[in-house]
Amino acid sequence: MNQIPHVEHRTSNIELPSDVGSLGVWRVLLRILDFVLAGIFIYAGALKAIDPVQFASDIDNYKILPWPVSVALAFYLPWLEIFCALGLVFRFLYRGALSILSASIVVFTLATIAAKVRGLDITCGCFGHASQHWSFPAHLATNLAILVALLTLFFAHAHKRGIRQL
Amino acid sequence: MAALALLPAAGEAIYFRDKISWRSAISPSEMVTVEQARGWGDTAIWVDARPDDEFASDHVPGAISLNEDRWNELLPQFLAVWAPGKKIIVYCSSLSCNASREVAHRLRKEAQISDVFVLEGGWEAWLKKNR
Repeated sequence: MNQIPHVEHRTSNIELPSDVGSLGVWRVLLRILDFVLAGIFIYAGALKAIDPVQFASDIDNYKILPWPVSVALAFYLPWLEIFCALGLVFRFLYRGALSILSASIVVFTLATIAAKVRGLDITCGCFGHASQHWSFPAHLATNLAILVALLTLFFAHAHKRGIRQL
Repeated sequence: MAALALLPAAGEAIYFRDKISWRSAISPSEMVTVEQARGWGDTAIWVDARPDDEFASDHVPGAISLNEDRWNELLPQFLAVWAPGKKIIVYCSSLSCNASREVAHRLRKEAQISDVFVLEGGWEAWLKKNR
């Protein structure tokens, strides 16, 4: 009775070499994605942390939050982005970092859509003055691409944890 | 992670305490009403921060167009008219628009002009008082 699982285990071990190769490539690609996303968020966060006055004004442009909340977020969000990005690089509180970054992207995307629907002419301030003249589709495409990348990392990490627990 | 970010954020809030008001997007000292602006007469330059088409359809008499869409092109034209000691009154379409605040911010930051004021209520307020 006990030998059957043992045989199956050995069979799966035989198939491992080819899997190990593709798994290795996949891991390297995911690690590269970690660094690319971290670079994007550190760059975006640093630009906003340098000029919180401008970022507070950018948040206020959405006309969703009262001014004092915009100011508080202008001081807080850039550092949250930077710490989460460092979390991706050093794999520190990794899932939490991915969750926070994904949630922030979703919120900003919804706010951008809401602003567009309400006819507001907004500058998102995501990348300081560099993103000032981005069109609405460019905004959406960038946000969606980042969100897809973040979710890929999130599910790949969850999958890896799932395999380890088996 | 969320708690960690609070520390530099708090530090930055203390560092920038004199540069940003928690009460209003524009500090009261940077705002001007239509009556006050009118009282300044020729010592002030009116700057229209609205898009070109809105400026073309109507504007405050003597106002100069300076919007963010054509900032690099329009700024030299504005600087040619500006003289030290003159007050700048920037306006956009209404109370809810942000263009005047943005242009005023950039004039202070990029052109290093200090006497820049934002017209309270913008073009709508000016229209109400003048027509």
